[in-house]
Amino acid sequence: MHRALLPGLASMILLAGPATAADAPPGASSCSGCHAPKAVADTVIPHIVGRKAADIVTFMREYRSGAWPSSVMGRIAKGFDDQQTEAIAAWFAAQPE
Amino acid sequence: MATRRHFLKLTAAAGLAPAVVSAQGRAKVIVIGGGFGGATAARALKALQPALDVTLIEPNPVYTSCPFSNSVLADLREIDQQRFRYDGVKGAGVTVAETSATAVDAETKTVTLADGSKLSYDRLVMTPGIDFNWGALPGYDEAAAQKMPHAWKAGAQTVLLRQQLQAMDDGGLVVMSAPANPFRCPPGPYERASLIAYWLKIWKPKSKLLLLDAKDAFSKQRLFQNGWAQLYPGMIEWVPLSQGGKVTSVDPATLTLTTEFATHKAAVANVIPPQKAGAIAAQAGVADRTGWCPVEPIAFESTLRPNIHVLGDAAIMGGMPKSAFAANAQAKVCAAAIVSLLAGARPQAPILINTCYSLVAADYGISIAGVYRPDKGQLTDIPGAGGTSPLEAVGGLRGQEALYASSWFRTITAETFG
Repeated sequence: MHRALLPGLASMILLAGPATAADAPPGASSCSGCHAPKAVADTVIPHIVGRKAADIVTFMREYRSGAWPSSVMGRIAKGFDDQQTEAIAAWFAAQPE
Repeated sequence: MATRRHFLKLTAAAGLAPAVVSAQGRAKVIVIGGGFGGATAARALKALQPALDVTLIEPNPVYTSCPFSNSVLADLREIDQQRFRYDGVKGAGVTVAETSATAVDAETKTVTLADGSKLSYDRLVMTPGIDFNWGALPGYDEAAAQKMPHAWKAGAQTVLLRQQLQAMDDGGLVVMSAPANPFRCPPGPYERASLIAYWLKIWKPKSKLLLLDAKDAFSKQRLFQNGWAQLYPGMIEWVPLSQGGKVTSVDPATLTLTTEFATHKAAVANVIPPQKAGAIAAQAGVADRTGWCPVEPIAFESTLRPNIHVLGDAAIMGGMPKSAFAANAQAKVCAAAIVSLLAGARPQAPILINTCYSLVAADYGISIAGVYRPDKGQLTDIPGAGGTSPLEAVGGLRGQEALYASSWFRTITAETFG
């Protein structure tokens, strides 16, 4: 009986191992569609991985209020409240560059 | 408890390094289709959980991107710049099976390949993209597409349409037909009309473009129409559904398109036909009567078949449009959800973003964005967020958005294909 359980359990323990980006807060994984996780040549879109969380939060608030002009970021920032924004900022700040 | 004690003892003995665990113990995920959704999902699964056994089934050794293929029509890019190989997907540890999936059996959790062999899975991700509803538009079939290209799957069709435009006499009439919703890339036909007009204005300025539409409204409509009036006055005529824009039949022999009100003879005809999810979706039982695939809004698991996740253009994603950005975003959410599900955990409710840039001219970009969350069983726009570029552009915004568009393309293709 134990033997029959093994494959499932083995994969469960393997899969419960160190999850990195799986713990990304809601919304964070979409950002890399424009903001390259690694340096991509020839882009005008800022790199946000490893930036200070407080800076990311400030930018998102300024985009949201319209104080800082933007293309899509003002419209996107309005979809996130302060708590969600802070969680995303902290997560990007903690990612290795 | 006995099981747990036994398991702990066993794992201690085995050392539990992923490398020493037998293949039996590795969860298997198969991805069918190597576009923006599928290639992203495969790479994200390995990045999130390197111990997973991930296989991507894709018959083409090279992917040809639809985003930016309208720029190929306008001679702003070459088709080779649209092509991406799967080396970066393989490099991420994904097994790439260069073949077709011919059948999916949700009961036995197996996928049959073109050579008849079968692969089993714990979770299946289906990203089959679109197929055309041949027969939904009388006169239009695969042979007709050689005379009146759709160019709605990029590659040879894109090149054919460009050749036809280049061979056309100055003063010729280009006729496009756009389908009813839903279809791949909602702003795509209007970006195409814009960029063809951009090219005509330079090379064949006496020519005109007639856009016959099966709809009365379209994505970024006022932005496109303002751009057309400003940049291409008198060159683009859009005929909406209510003014007889719906094409009811075509004749490839005479290059004519017939609507409820009139018959139009084209010098070059671009027919964007009605669409449905890629054929394997219906075979697998994950497509409904609409031809598209209903899914729940957290892990994008099919509501019709368990353990099969569908995303990208093939899926019904509530308010989220059928775009490359959306497929890429959905794939990352789906990959994280699958890693959770395989570990016996509940996936968290996601938030997803869509961003879509369109070019009205080489240096004139416009955009739409949206933010989505699960609500009442589907992905729904978060109120107050999203929307299009402002109708009045200040500070060189249109030029900036054209630059953002090309930056976006470089980033998303690097993320998707490595």
